[in-house]
Amino acid sequence: MGRVSGLVPSRFLTLLAHLVIVITLFWSRDSNIQACLPLTFTPEEYEKQDVQLVAALSVTLGLFAVELAGFFSGVSMFNSTQSLIWCAQAIGAHCSASVALSFFIFERWECTTYWYIFVFCSALPAVTEMALFVTVFGLKKKPL
Amino acid sequence: MELPDPVRQRLGNFSRSVFSDSNRTGPEYTEGPDDEMVSSLALQMSLYFNTYFFPLWWVSSVMMLHIKYPILPDYYKFIVVTIIILVTLIEVIRLYLGYMGNLQEKVPELAGFWLLSLLLQLPLILFLLFNEGLKSLPMEKAIHIIFTLFLTFQVVAAFLALKRMVNQLATRFHLQDFDRLSANRGDARRMRSCIEEI
Repeated sequence: MGRVSGLVPSRFLTLLAHLVIVITLFWSRDSNIQACLPLTFTPEEYEKQDVQLVAALSVTLGLFAVELAGFFSGVSMFNSTQSLIWCAQAIGAHCSASVALSFFIFERWECTTYWYIFVFCSALPAVTEMALFVTVFGLKKKPL
Repeated sequence: MELPDPVRQRLGNFSRSVFSDSNRTGPEYTEGPDDEMVSSLALQMSLYFNTYFFPLWWVSSVMMLHIKYPILPDYYKFIVVTIIILVTLIEVIRLYLGYMGNLQEKVPELAGFWLLSLLLQLPLILFLLFNEGLKSLPMEKAIHIIFTLFLTFQVVAAFLALKRMVNQLATRFHLQDFDRLSANRGDARRMRSCIEEI
């Protein structure tokens, strides 16, 4: 348990950092959308890209809800050394997401890059969280 | 370190008036033995995570203020600096009172925590979040939203925990009465038997 006591706050903080940047992106997505459009663009093209990015951000928030539910209900916390792998991948995924999204905002990457960040850093932890949910509640097995 | 006594008394009276079920003669549901724990797990978890969130909030707030300081009007400069200092001080006291009140099941501390969260922190943070003239940047909006969610959850959880605590104290007090009565009855019976002997 001594090792767990450092893991919970770090997992929470990386999750929170990722969440803060995703929420920030909702308001500051303008320069990113302009980066993936040609130099002269029509408002319709802008709208199209805008809707796509907002959809991606909303799906990210939904997956966050799943992961936060799993985190606060404690299904992924109380077990043995193998849980360190779960925790480490969650921490790593959110940490790299925070860094990547910071670059996304500062360097004004184009908006399609967001999907790559999304797959590795939001979808992956959410899928593992759901798998843990199913293991604990569905199959009634103690997780790992 | 405890709250000073007059403050504890006032908070205790306030809790009894607001949180107890005074329109009932007995407890609402058959409560367990009165040594049941009434610390709230949800509240404790949210306090723990709030303690880790607060430095992040502080650093982000101060950095954003530093960035937008030149373009704020003068009166807003003063207001925002004052608010950030106030929120910091109140937050430290609030979190300390919350930990003490919840873990040691002390009603005055937890009531102080509840009042500080509801009446001081929430309005200040909502002001920072929603005021149009403050030119709030997207990152500030994000961290203030998360802080507001924490505060709202803590207000609700602390209210429920306080209700349970105050009702348990009231039950314990009434049961104490019964103990005293039965002790007196034991004395009276002994006196009667002595008199009959005489």
